Parts: sequence; structure tokens; C-alpha cells
Amino acid sequence: MNPEFKRNLWLVFTPQRLIVTPILLALVFASVAMFNKIDFVNNLYGLARIMFVFIVWFWGLRSANSSITNELRDKTWDQQRMCALQPWAMTWGKLFGATAFEWYAGLICLIVAGIFGWMAQGSSAIVNLLTLVSIAILIHALSIALNLHTSQFESRAIQQGGVGWFGLFILFIIWSVSAKWFAFESIDWWGMAFPAAYFLLFGGLLFACCAVFSAWRSMSNALQVRTIPWAWPLFAIVLAVYMAGFVSDTNSLYVFFTTALLVAVAMTYIALITEPTGLLVWQRLKRRQELGDWRGWLERLPLWPTTLLLAFAFALLASFNLTGWIGTPSLNLFFGLAPLGVALMLLRDVCVFLFFTLAPNAKRTFSSALFYLIVIDLLLPFLAQIAGLNYLRYLLLPVDLMNPWNGVFIMLIHAGIAFGLFCWRLRLRLRLRSELNTNFS
Amino acid sequence: MIEISNLTFDYPGHRALDDVSLTVQSGSVTALVGPNGAGKTTLMRCIAGLETPLSGSILVNGIDVNEKPREVHRLMGYLSDFFGLYQDLTVGQCLEYAAESQGLPSTVVHDAIMLTARQLELSDRLQQVSGSLSRGQRQRLAIGQAIIHGPKVLLLDEPASGLDPEARANLASLFRHLQTIGMTLLVSSHILAELDEYSTHILSLRNGRVLENRALSGSYPAISHRRIRLKLSLADLRLADWLGNRPEAILIKADEKDAEFDFHGDLTAQSKLLRELIAASFQVTSFSEQKENLQQSYLQSVSTMPEPKYS
Repeated sequence: MNPEFKRNLWLVFTPQRLIVTPILLALVFASVAMFNKIDFVNNLYGLARIMFVFIVWFWGLRSANSSITNELRDKTWDQQRMCALQPWAMTWGKLFGATAFEWYAGLICLIVAGIFGWMAQGSSAIVNLLTLVSIAILIHALSIALNLHTSQFESRAIQQGGVGWFGLFILFIIWSVSAKWFAFESIDWWGMAFPAAYFLLFGGLLFACCAVFSAWRSMSNALQVRTIPWAWPLFAIVLAVYMAGFVSDTNSLYVFFTTALLVAVAMTYIALITEPTGLLVWQRLKRRQELGDWRGWLERLPLWPTTLLLAFAFALLASFNLTGWIGTPSLNLFFGLAPLGVALMLLRDVCVFLFFTLAPNAKRTFSSALFYLIVIDLLLPFLAQIAGLNYLRYLLLPVDLMNPWNGVFIMLIHAGIAFGLFCWRLRLRLRLRSELNTNFS
Repeated sequence: MIEISNLTFDYPGHRALDDVSLTVQSGSVTALVGPNGAGKTTLMRCIAGLETPLSGSILVNGIDVNEKPREVHRLMGYLSDFFGLYQDLTVGQCLEYAAESQGLPSTVVHDAIMLTARQLELSDRLQQVSGSLSRGQRQRLAIGQAIIHGPKVLLLDEPASGLDPEARANLASLFRHLQTIGMTLLVSSHILAELDEYSTHILSLRNGRVLENRALSGSYPAISHRRIRLKLSLADLRLADWLGNRPEAILIKADEKDAEFDFHGDLTAQSKLLRELIAASFQVTSFSEQKENLQQSYLQSVSTMPEPKYS
């Protein structure tokens, strides 16, 4: 048996828990059945689903979150990082081991929901239950992946209980979307109509697979199995394909390119603010470059440059399809800026962020960088707008719904200045570091 | 067993290891000493493959740690200064998990647990929950987890910190035992007197640089150079001249009853010298190797090395 899974079973199961849990659940179901004998089939189906959600989704999320944070808090993480287990064995050992008790209780709820759901709704109830299971796996795996990703550099977040709470946010989104979709008979996706329940199951399974894959990749890095960053941009493309399917415009290729651009932009920001961006990262890359070790260079490359490049690629592809621009008002309104302008704005923000995180002898560089980004992107244009300084607002944020292409030139200047500042500071810091080392020796 | 070349490691705004090059001999017990912030823990974590250095290479038994960290882990056990245990598992379960997660075949896991428990005097505690163990027992269990797969190298960061004198003595005896079964140990500690009991080599770090890395005299049975102290029960005026004429002995100090000299030769030559002393009618009451005092050596090396200059 997988040692990590076995260890978790030792920790979460006691004979008392094994016996008491089914008895308690049986009592709850029996009391509900006796309370309303007329509609007890539907009542039991509904209650079992709700109990599954609370036990496996919420309680399980807490346990999955703890599977990483407890190791770090209790100083057992080094032992795990040095063990011989393969990343996949460690991943599923934690994913299903840490949540084994919740799955045990959840399985009882599923059996009850399956029996009474079948009686009430037939096969659609089974589809519905499978969707609940896939979402449970999705949020558990996501919690593990996020904590592993964060633990590389942000020990405070882990000490404060991890970032599993983010899973609650994802749950909220899933809940809102699925509640809306269930109101429909079918969902239109890429021009085809799918039954809503089946489409939800497809989405749940797709993203559960992505989350498990992401947890495995993060675990690989933690266990020193080095990887090159191809999965992050690939996920951006998968997400773009999924999301573009919902935009009901005529030019499907243009819709895909612009949606992919938006997704790549969002994922670049997320990677940028959740990864280390200090001088050490650049020193390591420079060292690998000097050694001509390009695989090592790729292994040490942060994730954000991959989606930044992807954003430019999709911006250019979208720019070649100008007829799509005219024929896609929903996306046009989204930007008010041509696709290339959006990519240039992203480049500017990345350079501004890096410029501040590379500041010498500065404390709280991350929060400073984030603050300046908010000032440049939102506060200054807003102040210029309310002061009636429209030209200044246009120079700061060249959004023009009538003629979005005009802003590209201004954004090019913004990006050029920011890129120049970033290069200047990076060269200066690397040179100072190199001189310091020479003196030290 | 461990070869490190030009190892450099940076923390943000601080160089923890600066162009460190050293070797650790197979079968040795190396005392890793140095003040706080010298880079001891960082060096150990780099050797264990838990941190990636900026540059340089680390070979453990010929395998590059940076290239194949997981292969090196098979050869290595590591006990960090702030180690943790699974508090709710029993001693037996902790050892079983360590053995299985280190890839031992299931057929040998039971024997490995029993052997390790016996070595660490935990055989009667296998059913006890680890959270209820004493500090010394917890330390031994953590070492047990690190050695259960029979590593060739054991890295121990401040293993005796917080232990009472009896537990420290037990630990010293365990380390001597591990050395006799062929394990190479690298042990860091602030308590030099404690390292004195079992160390064969000293590796001294300061400000991320190696001050000194050498064998301690009198610590290695096969070493060709060691200090010997000789005592006579009856004063003999010939003693200084007799020893002074021996090419293998370099006299440090001598009078009619006592002498101290550095002896160059193997154990057979040392035994021959003793026989010749007795044959020459010296009334020898004591003829013993003087183990070098680690604390004195360390303080001496610190005082002779210049402070690195920063700009």
C-alpha cells in the first residue's frame, strides 16, 4: 500500500470513528424519513446531497489543506521531501489519504443519495452525484496544489493556515454558475447544445483532472523532480478553449484568440504575484545561461513569462483578424483597447512590478510593487477622469471604445519606458552583487 | 564521500556560502563548527539537496546532488535542527512509514524496524505514541527515521540541543557505533566539548567560508601523525635525548619524567617504539595518544584567520 496513504489512514481512522460515523448518519437519515413519510424519497435524496457537500467539500477541503500545512508546521516536510516516494504516489496519498474519513462518511451519503436519487429522478441523479464527486476532487487537489506552490516562498501564508480558503472562493464560483446552469435544459458551447447536467459533469471532470495534474506537478517540484514550465501555458489554452465556447459571437477563431489573450493576461498577473521575483531568480537564470545549461534555465524559469509570451502570441493572432474585431462587440467593449495594446499593457505592468521588487534594501517590496501597479492602472486614470483631464487620462490609460487601435502606440511607449527601467535596475543589481562578491572574496 | 567544489548560496541580500570547497572522508565523523550565521545549516541543506545553490557542485559518493537529488537521498539521512515527528503515530508506525517511504521492500521492513529500534534503544517503546516520548527519546526516534534505510551518509544539525547529559552521552555512543558500521557522519553543534567525544575531523565555517577542514590528531587509528604523552615512574635524564634522536618523534616538551611528542608512523611503529623504550630500561607508566581538543583548535583557527572584508 502507498505509505503516505497508509500513514494518513492511521491518523484519520480510529475504530470508534469507523463505527460511530455510519450509526450517526443512519440516525439522521432515519429521522428525516420518519419526519415526512409522504415525500421521503426526495427528502432523503436532497439531504444526502447536502450532507455530502458539507462533509466532503467543506470538511474535506480543510483536511486537504492541512495535508500540506501540517507537514510544514510540524517540521516533517523535510523528511517527506527526502523520501523515495514518486510524486504521483505522494500526491494521491495525500489527496485521498488526508480526506479518507470525509470520503468514508461521504460514501455513505452517496449511497443513500444514489438509491433515493435513482428512485426520484433516474439516471440524471447519478450524473448529478458524479458531478458532486468531481467538484470535491477538484477543490481538494486545488488546495494541495496552491499550498505546495505557495510553500516555496511564502512561509507566512502556510503558518497562517495555508491558502486552502481560496478553494472556498472557487466553490462559490462553481456553486453560482452551476445553480444558474441547472435552470437551463441545455448549455450552448461552441455552437452545440449539451444537456446542462452532463455539461456540468464534463466541466467538473475536466477541471478535476487539471487540478490533480497541477497538484502532481507542484509535488514534483517539491520532491526535487524538476520540470520545465509547459503545463501552465497549456492550462491557459485549455481554459481559453473552455471559456471561448460560451461566447456567442459569429467569428469563432477571433473569439478564441481574444479569450485566450484575456486568460493569458489573468494567469500572468496571478503567476507574477504568487512567485518569487527577487534578484535570486535572475541570478540563477544568469548563472544557467553562463553555463549554457538551457534545460536548467527552463527549470528555473518562473511561470509568468510563459503566459506573457502566450498573451503576445494571441494578441498578434487576434490582430490579424480585424473583421472579427468589428463583428465581436462584446469583446470590443471588454477592452476598449486593441489586443496588442492589452498585451503591451501587461508587459508594462510586469516590468513595473519587477522594477519595484528588485529595489535594493527595500522591505515589503511585494506590497510596494502591488501598490504602484494599482496607482498606475486605476488611481491616476480615475483621478484624471474625475478632474476632467481627458487627455491626461487618455495618456495614462488609452481606452477608446470608438478607435481602440490608437491606444497601441501610447501603450508601446509605456511598455518601452517600463522595460527600460526594469533592465536598468536588473543590470545594476546584478553588477552590484557581482562586485560585492569580488570584494567578499 | 562528500566532495564540494566552489559552492555559493545566496539568500536575499545575504551570501550564506561563499565559494566553499571541501571534502569529507568516508567513514569519518566530521564536526561542523562555527558561530551562528556561519552557514552550517545552509551547507547541510545543500548537501541534502533541500536547497539549490547559486553555483558550485556537490558530489555524494560520486553522484551530483544538484543533478540527481533523489538518487543522493537514497544514500543519505538528514536530521534538521528543528525536526518534527508525527505526534499521533506510535514509534513503530513512525519507523514503518520512514522505512516504506524510503523504498525498503516490504519483506525487510519489519527487520529494519527491529534493528533500528534496537540500535536506538527504543525496542520497548514501539507501541508508545511518539508525542508522549521524552526529548531524548524523540531525538533517537528522529535519528532512527533518518537511518532506517541504511544510508552511507548521515547529516545531523544540532542533534544534541536540549538534551540532558545522560541523553547526550547515549547519543555520542550511538554516533561512535554508527561510525564503526561504516557510516559517514557530518554533525553540527555549538557544544564543542560534546563533539570532542566522537569527532575525527573538524570542519570550521565562518561567514560562509571554510576556515579549516582537517583530521583531528589522535582521532584516527590509521592516521600517520598523532601526539603522544609519555610518563615515567622514575626520573631518567636520558629521556629527552633518547626521544630527540628518534626520527619518527618530534619532541614538543620533555623533562626527566614526562615527555610529549608528535609521532609519525603507523600503529606497528608506535608499538615498536614502546617496546624499545622498555628495552632501554625506561620505567614507563603511561604511553598514551593525546586527542586534540576541538574547542582549542577551533578558537585557534578563528584567531589566526583574518576577518573577511565587506564593502
